Amino acid sequence: MSRILVVDDESSIRLLYSHELADEGHEVVTSANAAEAVEKLKKDDFDLILLDIKLKNESGLDLLQRIVKERHNLPVILCTAYSCYKDDFSAWLADGYVVKSSDLTELKHEIRRVLEKKGTRNTKKGR
Amino acid sequence: MKTECCWAKDVVTAAECPYVSADEADLCASLELRLVARCLECPRFAGDLDRLAEDSGPVAKAMRILAAEVLRQKAQLNTMVGFLDSRNMEIQFLHEIGGILQTSLGLDEVLSAALTAITAGKGFGMNRAFLLLSDKERRYLKGYLGVGPRNYQEAWDIWAEIGRNDYTLREMAMQFHETKLSAEKDKFQDILEKLTVPMGDQGHILNRALQERRAILVHDAFHNPDVDPQLARTLGVDTFLVLPLISRNRRIGAIIADNFITHKPITPQDMHSMETLTFPVAFAIERASLYERMHEDLSKLTQANAKLREQQELIVRMEKLALLGKITSSIAHSIRNPLMIIGGFARSLMKNTGGNDPNREALETILTSAKELETALSETLGYADSVFPAVDQWDVNQLVGNVFREVRRKTEGDGILLTLDLAPDLPATILDYRQMAYCIKKIMSNSLGNMSPPGELRVATRLDGDCILVEIVATADLSVAEEPEGAMDPAPAGGEFSGDMDLSFCRVILENYCKSFIVEEYEGKGRRYALRLPLKKEGADHEQNSGRG
Repeated sequence: MSRILVVDDESSIRLLYSHELADEGHEVVTSANAAEAVEKLKKDDFDLILLDIKLKNESGLDLLQRIVKERHNLPVILCTAYSCYKDDFSAWLADGYVVKSSDLTELKHEIRRVLEKKGTRNTKKGR
Repeated sequence: MKTECCWAKDVVTAAECPYVSADEADLCASLELRLVARCLECPRFAGDLDRLAEDSGPVAKAMRILAAEVLRQKAQLNTMVGFLDSRNMEIQFLHEIGGILQTSLGLDEVLSAALTAITAGKGFGMNRAFLLLSDKERRYLKGYLGVGPRNYQEAWDIWAEIGRNDYTLREMAMQFHETKLSAEKDKFQDILEKLTVPMGDQGHILNRALQERRAILVHDAFHNPDVDPQLARTLGVDTFLVLPLISRNRRIGAIIADNFITHKPITPQDMHSMETLTFPVAFAIERASLYERMHEDLSKLTQANAKLREQQELIVRMEKLALLGKITSSIAHSIRNPLMIIGGFARSLMKNTGGNDPNREALETILTSAKELETALSETLGYADSVFPAVDQWDVNQLVGNVFREVRRKTEGDGILLTLDLAPDLPATILDYRQMAYCIKKIMSNSLGNMSPPGELRVATRLDGDCILVEIVATADLSVAEEPEGAMDPAPAGGEFSGDMDLSFCRVILENYCKSFIVEEYEGKGRRYALRLPLKKEGADHEQNSGRG
């Protein structure tokens, strides 16, 4: 079981992710904005962050930079309605990029891929 | 003394004097007038004077001397009057030809007037005239136009025709320009081709005339050491006149005139008269040349202006499309989140809904609709994203290869063979990767959509002069019977898109980036799209960067 932090300003999307990812066996914690997410990151450990790019009045990419700087081992998947940020240099810091869709198959697949990669990395470090 | 002549009478009749006619009443009635005008030339009067001198002594002798002097002065006066008359006619003629030249702007019009003036009987009456003009680089004098008959028969016909029609010089020049000019050029083509003289050949008689800025009358051309024997053979005459054409120190060309048919001698007076003509002719030729060049420049300017207007219209269209793209993007993104929520929860609910649940069908409908909307949304966003250009240096092969592989993944098993042929070592070029990829993808997808298997979609790149050619050839039964050009026509500015909006938009993008963009039928069994992308020029980086800033 992995602990996933979902950062999205849309409450319905947070709820949808919570249901769907819980069904996949993950423990989901949600945040509506960057400040709340930072607070939760300070208090708890997470295996992965699902981060929206367009948060209300703030940019998910700024938060991404901060996470990478402070918690560089924590993988982040950008989950956004915009496909164009894929070419944005600052989005390349993320471990994955998924365009929002009603079909969460791709997202789940990406989560598995990133977690497996993280697991492999941690195992290697453990050795 | 009895006089033999009637000169002593105050009044005479025509019957008495053979030098006075009946209608010359004033002479008959006046001894004074008659004596000066007629008697002095009368041999009987001279005989009377001789006898008077013998009989009457010194007075009669003096009278005889005076009479001889009066006669001499009278002859001199007549010669001068004749000379003045001819000069007057020449001035009138030059005035007329000057007027024609002044009002003629076309080069051929000017040349027609000049050569007509030299060859017409009302002009200088030479048999033939050849005009040589210097080329643009002023390296050669080249035969441009010849005028006149080639043989006696033709000369006879021409002069008979001129005799029948009493044309003025202006009318003759105009008629020559309108009806005979091209025929005359053809008629003398063989001679004109041989009349090519390097302007650097200072010893050549034509160059000498230009250098010394004076007309040269050539005699005994076949044996004259100053004359190129080939020129003499080409002209076929031993006497001809060379007239330099100089305007404001610029060597415009030369005229060669001769009397090939009549062999009438050319006098120094003829030469000087024609020399006077060469100044306005040279000036008119230069003016006509400048006028022609101005027209060429004007034409280029008009074309550039039209191109500029097209570009401006394109920019306006792009701006409108960009605005449309922004609106579309904004709407599409605001739809995507709720759509995801609707579809996501419907899918979530579906998982816990049994096969017999009455709500399952409704949930499936919601899911299908959400899926359809998401597909439409992706298309719309793809279009909207491509509106905002971000140009940079790109490897065309990488771009084409990426698009090709993406399209191939989606179409595997469709029965259409997809082939990729990339030329190695293509240089980088400036383009917007996203926009160009969008266009190539759209062209490929659209072609595949219109093809029935079996068929082939070939994508190739190669260097083509100063461009990179991207070629997409679809060969199969094309299900859409449409004119190739019309297939990608953009919608009229501000109007509705008539066909496929994406393809119309592609044309706008491609016309912006490509040196040329062609859609054409391919060997009667398909369609070919040819995109010629200009290569990156020196300094393009700098321009690009400063443009972005």
